[in-house]
Amino acid sequence: MAKIYKIQQSVMAADEEYALQIRKEMSRRGLLVINIIGSPGAGKTTLLEATKDKAPFSFAVIEGDIATSRDAERLSKLGVPSIQINTHGGCHLEANLVKKALEELPLEDIDVIFIENVGNLVCPAEFDIGEDWKVAVSSIPEGADKPLKYPHLFSEAKAVLLTKVDLVPYVPFDMDLYKNDLFHLNPNVECIEIEALTGKGIQKWVSLVEKLLKEKRSECL
Amino acid sequence: MHEMSLVESIIETLLELQKSHKWNHINKVTLHVGAMRQVIPDVMSFVFLIATKDTPLAGAKMEIIEIPMSFKCKKCDKKWGEDQMDFVCPHCGSLDVDVLSGMELDIESVEVEEEHG
Repeated sequence: MAKIYKIQQSVMAADEEYALQIRKEMSRRGLLVINIIGSPGAGKTTLLEATKDKAPFSFAVIEGDIATSRDAERLSKLGVPSIQINTHGGCHLEANLVKKALEELPLEDIDVIFIENVGNLVCPAEFDIGEDWKVAVSSIPEGADKPLKYPHLFSEAKAVLLTKVDLVPYVPFDMDLYKNDLFHLNPNVECIEIEALTGKGIQKWVSLVEKLLKEKRSECL
Repeated sequence: MHEMSLVESIIETLLELQKSHKWNHINKVTLHVGAMRQVIPDVMSFVFLIATKDTPLAGAKMEIIEIPMSFKCKKCDKKWGEDQMDFVCPHCGSLDVDVLSGMELDIESVEVEEEHG
């Protein structure tokens, strides 16, 4: 005879366990972990390159891509310790993959780990990879409707980096609509306008990361 | 298309449960999926159907109960939600808001055939 049992367990229980282990280990070491999420071509890697110029903290990068190690190579060239994860078709990173990548990084020499997730606004927002904060990267040419279309990411992000603002005079983009929608999804979010190629906004972003690092270290003590 | 990853986790959990409880067969798994989780129910149940072929779960049905967003203002106590995805209280403008539902992604229950004797 058929019988019904209550389970009431998260679908992602196994992966959440890996995320918890990462969070514990990174807290023990006082390392800040930031999960960077944005569309393909939003400017995530360019942002990290520009971060290297201004950062008063040392950082490493875990790059998530479906294929190629081009992003990790770009950062390695600048002297940033970088590990490439290829997901071979997978549309997001998961905590078990990040845990393995962390084992290959020189954790004792760094303050911050940026995890550049696979370019995608949907799936990466769903998976906890052990980060302290999610940061959304959204560029002007993608359009002003992105926050409302992808509410999970934009409602959870600690900061939204609006990139390629130097293109505002050339492409239609309703800045008021964008900021109003963002406010209603995430009233406390910090929105930083960035032009990575000229360096505009990078100092503000770097200062935010520095502040988050200090907060994390004071909590870990 | 993160439904595939989610289905893999669900299958793993169900196979473990089936083994440890010595159930003959799992007829149905019921999920609670919040509106914020960006899961497409038809894709999820289709992937489950394909991925369980030739496994002890073959033939199991997947039922997905969609849970709408709902919010409550901590200041004026009013509630809102469904299609109104607003983290700012539409009644008093407060930013101090609780999300009551819409974030679920849970295996709620299973219907099983138990071993006799």
